[in-house]
Amino acid sequence: MPPGSQAPALARNVHVTLSNHRGPVHVARYAKGSAKYILSGGQDRTIRLWNAVLGTEIKSFNAHGYEVLSVTVAHDNATFASSGGDRSVFLWDVATGVTTRRLAGHMGKIHVVEFSQDASVVASGSFDATVRLWDLKSQSRQPIQVLEEARDAVQAIHVNSHSVITGSVDGHIRTYDLRMGELRSDFIGHPVTSVLPTQDNQTLLVTTLDSTIRLMDASTGKMLNKFQGHKNESYRCRACFGHGEGSVLIGDEDGRVWAWDLLDGLILPPNPPPTVHQKVITWTEHHPTDAGEMITASADGTVTVWRHPE
Amino acid sequence: MSATSRLKRKLGDLGVDVSSSKANESFCFIGTPLPPLEKSRDTGEFVPLWKQEVRDEQGRRRLHGAFTGGFSAGYFNSVGSKEGWTPSTFVSSRSDRAKQKAARPEDFMDDEDLQDIRDSKKLVDKADEMDLTGTTQPAVEDADQSSLARALEAAMLPDAADSTGARILKKMGWKLGQGIGPRVTLRQRRLQEQLAKGLYATLDDIKIGPAEEEADKHLYPPLDIPVLNVPRKSNSHGVGYHPGLGLNATLGVSERSKNNSGPKISAGFGLGALNDADDDDVDIYDRSIEGMRMRTAYDGGDDDEHQHASKPKTTSGSRPLSGGTTFLNGTRVLAGFTLSDKPVAEDRWFPLPDVPPGWTPDPRRVWKQDVSQEDEGKENITASSSTAHRRFDITADERGKLLGEAPLPAAPRSVFEFISQKDKERLKRVASEIASGTPGALPTNLSARRTEPHIAQAALKGFQPFTSDPVKQARYTIYLQSQAAMDGSASNLTPALGQRTDEFHKEMEDYAKAALIFKPISGAMAGRFTSAAVIEQGPKVHEGLHKPVDEDIEMKDAEQKKAEEKVSPKVHAARMEMYGALTREVKPWQPARLLCKRFGVKDPDPPAPDSTDTLVGNKSRFTSGSEPSTSAAAAAGDQDDSEPQERKKGGPRDLANVGLGEDDTQGQDTLTYQRPAMDVFKAIFASDDEDSDGEDAKEDNEEGPSEPPTLSVPAPNKEKDTEMEELPSLVPFANTRNDSGAKLDLTSFKPTFIPREGKSKESNGKVKDKEKQEKGNEKQSGNEEKKSKKKREKKTAIVSFAMDEDGEDVPMKEEPRTHKKRRKAKNKGVEEEQKPPDDDDMWVEKPAPDIVKDLPRVSMVVDGEEDQNRPEKAAGPPKGRKRAIDFM
Repeated sequence: MPPGSQAPALARNVHVTLSNHRGPVHVARYAKGSAKYILSGGQDRTIRLWNAVLGTEIKSFNAHGYEVLSVTVAHDNATFASSGGDRSVFLWDVATGVTTRRLAGHMGKIHVVEFSQDASVVASGSFDATVRLWDLKSQSRQPIQVLEEARDAVQAIHVNSHSVITGSVDGHIRTYDLRMGELRSDFIGHPVTSVLPTQDNQTLLVTTLDSTIRLMDASTGKMLNKFQGHKNESYRCRACFGHGEGSVLIGDEDGRVWAWDLLDGLILPPNPPPTVHQKVITWTEHHPTDAGEMITASADGTVTVWRHPE
Repeated sequence: MSATSRLKRKLGDLGVDVSSSKANESFCFIGTPLPPLEKSRDTGEFVPLWKQEVRDEQGRRRLHGAFTGGFSAGYFNSVGSKEGWTPSTFVSSRSDRAKQKAARPEDFMDDEDLQDIRDSKKLVDKADEMDLTGTTQPAVEDADQSSLARALEAAMLPDAADSTGARILKKMGWKLGQGIGPRVTLRQRRLQEQLAKGLYATLDDIKIGPAEEEADKHLYPPLDIPVLNVPRKSNSHGVGYHPGLGLNATLGVSERSKNNSGPKISAGFGLGALNDADDDDVDIYDRSIEGMRMRTAYDGGDDDEHQHASKPKTTSGSRPLSGGTTFLNGTRVLAGFTLSDKPVAEDRWFPLPDVPPGWTPDPRRVWKQDVSQEDEGKENITASSSTAHRRFDITADERGKLLGEAPLPAAPRSVFEFISQKDKERLKRVASEIASGTPGALPTNLSARRTEPHIAQAALKGFQPFTSDPVKQARYTIYLQSQAAMDGSASNLTPALGQRTDEFHKEMEDYAKAALIFKPISGAMAGRFTSAAVIEQGPKVHEGLHKPVDEDIEMKDAEQKKAEEKVSPKVHAARMEMYGALTREVKPWQPARLLCKRFGVKDPDPPAPDSTDTLVGNKSRFTSGSEPSTSAAAAAGDQDDSEPQERKKGGPRDLANVGLGEDDTQGQDTLTYQRPAMDVFKAIFASDDEDSDGEDAKEDNEEGPSEPPTLSVPAPNKEKDTEMEELPSLVPFANTRNDSGAKLDLTSFKPTFIPREGKSKESNGKVKDKEKQEKGNEKQSGNEEKKSKKKREKKTAIVSFAMDEDGEDVPMKEEPRTHKKRRKAKNKGVEEEQKPPDDDDMWVEKPAPDIVKDLPRVSMVVDGEEDQNRPEKAAGPPKGRKRAIDFM
């Protein structure tokens, strides 16, 4: 590895393409743990469970009446939650493939849903500009709390051990710190479509619709780095960290997968990257443990698993 | 006679029965025959007019006498009953919706109307109308079929109206709206469209954009262009010549249709059987009637009509011929001709020029030209206005004079003409005196228009009434200033340019009045009113067509600029990418307690105000109003033990603290207490209320006789409470003792049987388990609910008890110390081994009957114990006390 780049080269070989979805795929997420499986949800109102290694579809979860916009997997892989145009959060039992609970209360389509670390709470962010926190331990169907500070649709949520971080189209990132009992709202100025903190919760990777990804300092709100070059102006493209958080990845609206070095913010070769999807790449996720694997979901109806050539 | 007999004989020879009546029939009638005995159906029979009856084709009488129904269309002929219209009762049509059919006009028509409709229908030749859309299909007769039947029928029957050609075309794949011919490419189709629009284009001009790649792959039906139908020329006229074309037709006046058979009767009513079409019946709005002359009350052309009455009217729509019409130049129109009021040649119209793309109107340029022109124009106008106006000011007399007409004989006569010369002179003199006297009269009037200086000054500061009219406002201000300055230092208001003096005075008066009205109210009254400042600040409404003014546009530009500048520093910082302190806002945020619990995070801000709230609530319920320091004491209560020590001795006891004991940890426990699910509360409290009532009753009954086998239970509280209510003097003791007793019992006795004798002592010594206590609290709270109601009524009594308590308290205060220690020691042990921390365990079913048995014992023990326990309870942190209300 050359001294300039600590980040390992990006996996750019198609390992397998998952193409059973009809219509755009909005989200594709690895399962927890060893992450051998992938859950993808799309415009065709289904959520599909895939084997990432073999590329076979294991199961299809059909209950949504509208498009599926977000999926989150519980820590134990036993349940997952999904949301979309139905305006309610669906909780699923993976084994039986049925919904165990449907949490209704939002007034608009739910863009994002996220479990807390022990899956006792699920947070949902909606077009109605609210974030609702639902209790899964009790039988209550009412949200524990509704966060109504956002002035526009909430597009991104991240829940960690002690805080809830939301990104909204009104250009704010709001960190609801439970320990401190305070709300820190950082104004970015452009619609925020994804927020992802690093493992140490010190920095936030923020994707905005001005074709820019910013690395923000969580404690001070300062910008540490800026990643540009891709095109992201009207769709939600989710950025993520590469392996070991050494790089930043995003699939953009032209169907290219871009990678930057986290520290110096330079585009990793090839520059520009080849077009690998026909349409906008809606979701990019790197394998949590394997250095050489990542997935992209695209509006062309496919989910692609990328690996290094063997 | 002989003739007839001879005939008879002849007939008899022929074989005819001579004796039959037929043979005897007589054909001679003499005189008028009597009417037949039974009413004959002979329609030809003569009936006098007054006896004639009008009947419809079903034989029903059509016309009735005025007293038997008049022209009755209702009962006698079609609908209703003899009694009149009967309202139909409501019948739900829900079950047979499918059978339901919409009401048609025909449903409301009687037979005559239907006949009319049938008559009015014109036969349509099927050959000349092709029913391509099938819209005319549903006919009247099958409308009463159900929709399903109709749909089936429509599906099965061939499209009757289609011509053979159309059917063949359809079979070949042609569809309505498409042209006929082989399919063409997109490019050719575009070309056809261009040509159809009348634009010249060739195939090369048509460009297919990249967006239409997909579209280019398909073939399209040709455009449906109507085939030019050239009528066959069967005459020998020149091209373009239409035979019989009148002069009017060449002038563009369309010939009216001449097939008017008669006047159109106004719609809605038929004509009576005996009536003729009258003037009133004729549809006056029917414009097709020729010559609206008939409608006028007085016809100016009557004379002419007489002259030409016999002539057939050949020139339709023409005015009556008159010899008096002349051309504009004065020459007479030939007799038999009329002057056309239509211009001969049509005006030529030029289309508006195309506006170049991207052009935005900038009216300012035009206005500037206007302004310069107006400046020039104004001078002209001022110069010419006098003459220009004069021209239209000519009176009728003047005009007559100009034309040389003789003046009308009846000249207006004035009153003055009847006055004698002397009087006239006197009047003149008086008038001249008045005229000369006016300057003197003015100042007297002016004095009325003066405004007191102090009022003027006040009005200057006060409401400005004429803000919508800046000129008037300015004048008003000047006026006020002139009035305010008594020494006359300020310039007086002068009449405006061109203002007459009386107008000026009127204006002054207005100002004076306005000043009086709008001067601010002085002194104390002023503070009570606020002026509605909004009224005059709204946008000024201009009547008429809105025309943007120069200033408007400038103002808008300025506003835009301002808006750009007025970006908040936060946005500015974000734009400059100076993220950090500027773009960050930190606000306190209170996460829900349950959320904290779920996240395993300590509640960042324990709800202090909430706890005081409950305290206050408690106080109001359980303490007397005369205690001033309770809230302070209560607030101190949760800090540490030192305070409670003092209170134990002399301070007023807060009933809210009763039952908490001295355990420091008790308060904390309840502070961090997590509220269980609502269902639990409901289950417990709902049933508890009912149960407790029952229990109370039971207790009352059983109290005396039953001796308990002593399974101790916390429930005695309740029992005591009820007791207390009945016997107010016992309340404080019973209550306090009871609480403690109950709790003590709980810890030790709940799982086990205990000898009755030891119970009182043990209960003293036992330390309260936190959770048990809580349970006790819960129960208590249930009771308290009830209690509080009654207590409100007995408030005064409670006050007195509190005092009693204090008095008794003092001597016994030593005791609790020892108990406390023991309690603490036990507390740890018991708590750890016995009770898992889960809340749900609290809700163990309590054996109700045992309480009852337990009662008498407790009440006896009380006397000794109560004093000892009481201070401990007072010491407990009040915060921890939760009542059911707090959870609801």
